[in-house]
Amino acid sequence: MGKGGPVSARIGFGLTVVAAGLLTAALYMVFFVAPLEATLGISQKIFYFHVGAAINMLLSFGFCALAGLVYLSIGGMNRRWADIADAVGVATAEVGVTLGAIVLITGPLWARKAWGTWWTWEPRLTLSLMVFLLFLAYLALRAFAGSDRFGRGVAAGLSILGIPAVYFIHFAVDRWGGAHPQVVYKGGLTQPEMRIAFGLSVAAVFLLATTLSWLRLTIERERQHLDELYLEVDRRLG
Amino acid sequence: MDELRRYAAIVGKDLRVEFRTREILYTTTLFALLLVVIFAFAFLSDPTKSRDYGPGIIWVTVLFATTVGQNRLFDRERENDCLWSLLLSPAAPSTVFLAKATAQLAFALLMQVPTILLILVFFDLRVTDPFAFVAALALGNVALALVGTLFAAMLMNARMKEVLLPLVTYPLFVPVVIAGVKVTAVAVGAPIAEDPEVWLKFLLGFDMIFGVVTVMLFGRMVRA
Repeated sequence: MGKGGPVSARIGFGLTVVAAGLLTAALYMVFFVAPLEATLGISQKIFYFHVGAAINMLLSFGFCALAGLVYLSIGGMNRRWADIADAVGVATAEVGVTLGAIVLITGPLWARKAWGTWWTWEPRLTLSLMVFLLFLAYLALRAFAGSDRFGRGVAAGLSILGIPAVYFIHFAVDRWGGAHPQVVYKGGLTQPEMRIAFGLSVAAVFLLATTLSWLRLTIERERQHLDELYLEVDRRLG
Repeated sequence: MDELRRYAAIVGKDLRVEFRTREILYTTTLFALLLVVIFAFAFLSDPTKSRDYGPGIIWVTVLFATTVGQNRLFDRERENDCLWSLLLSPAAPSTVFLAKATAQLAFALLMQVPTILLILVFFDLRVTDPFAFVAALALGNVALALVGTLFAAMLMNARMKEVLLPLVTYPLFVPVVIAGVKVTAVAVGAPIAEDPEVWLKFLLGFDMIFGVVTVMLFGRMVRA
């Protein structure tokens, strides 16, 4: 089987190198090339990574839901692909939650400077928090509901229900949080250098997320392989 | 037609067992009443302002007490190991699911009637729009029953199901609670500018979409 064999390791190494390079270039662009934003000053620079993390968090959760969909639609028909879909689900959810933590830490840091408060129940903040909590629950399921078929199935189901849930939460918090201050998003991205720095940051975080997901996926496949070997040993020893 | 009979048989079985033992109804109603008393001590400082926090208290009580009941919903199936027998019966998985969800909805509503009357009395709330008040609770409870029954079934044998069930369902319930509190607030005459009709349609949409998705997922998840 050799799921974590030399090929996937080499892909992981290649991804790491590219992600590290892009991150360095993005940091350089953000701090040495992109000009200071006129009204927000240095604190605006946190947005390059804050927004990058937010976009990639949603992407990760999207892939997690997709993996759940694949897992439940192939059901018991193809063991190998079910295992892969399941591993993709864990990997993307964990990376997504990590990115969510970055979003929810960098956001208040900036809000404290710009709005004078750590947190407001602004719709976009509330939505990010709810999606983050939803996938924390997914990870709790993975950790405590067992890694048998039941545990995997219920986790996959939750990730799929996340799609309509995000839609409804979005609508509800939008109307609910009507009177809160409006965020001036990307108000300062008028300079071309800023736009390049922004694009580079989003791409760098994307590659970082891809690298981490890939490495986590490799580990999960190894773990599944090990589980099978244990079962095999059990069978042979009767 | 056969499917409808099977559905009625499963719902009837659950209601019959419950009315004989009164396990879920008795415990959840008592729990809800105790919650109401605790909320009164925690929040009741100025009775003239009860319209501000009353709707929230109604929905938190409904949510907590319903979750306690949902954790017990599949107890008999687990103890007697007969969920698989139910699923092996001629009834389709979706029939089994809808029947269990209906039973859960019935338990929740029966528990909520005395509880909510008591909240209205204790907090001196006057319902000015009875239709919106009842409609929000009815639609909200359908949503809670659908999602709760799905995960209660799936977590039936999980080691920490009591904690896992609310962990999983509460993020999904957030929009229901937001909509429910808004409509209830308008229905008891709280001074907020909200159109209850929008939120009731929202709840109806939630019920329909989650109804379809949970029914489909239940079949998939038990087969997987």
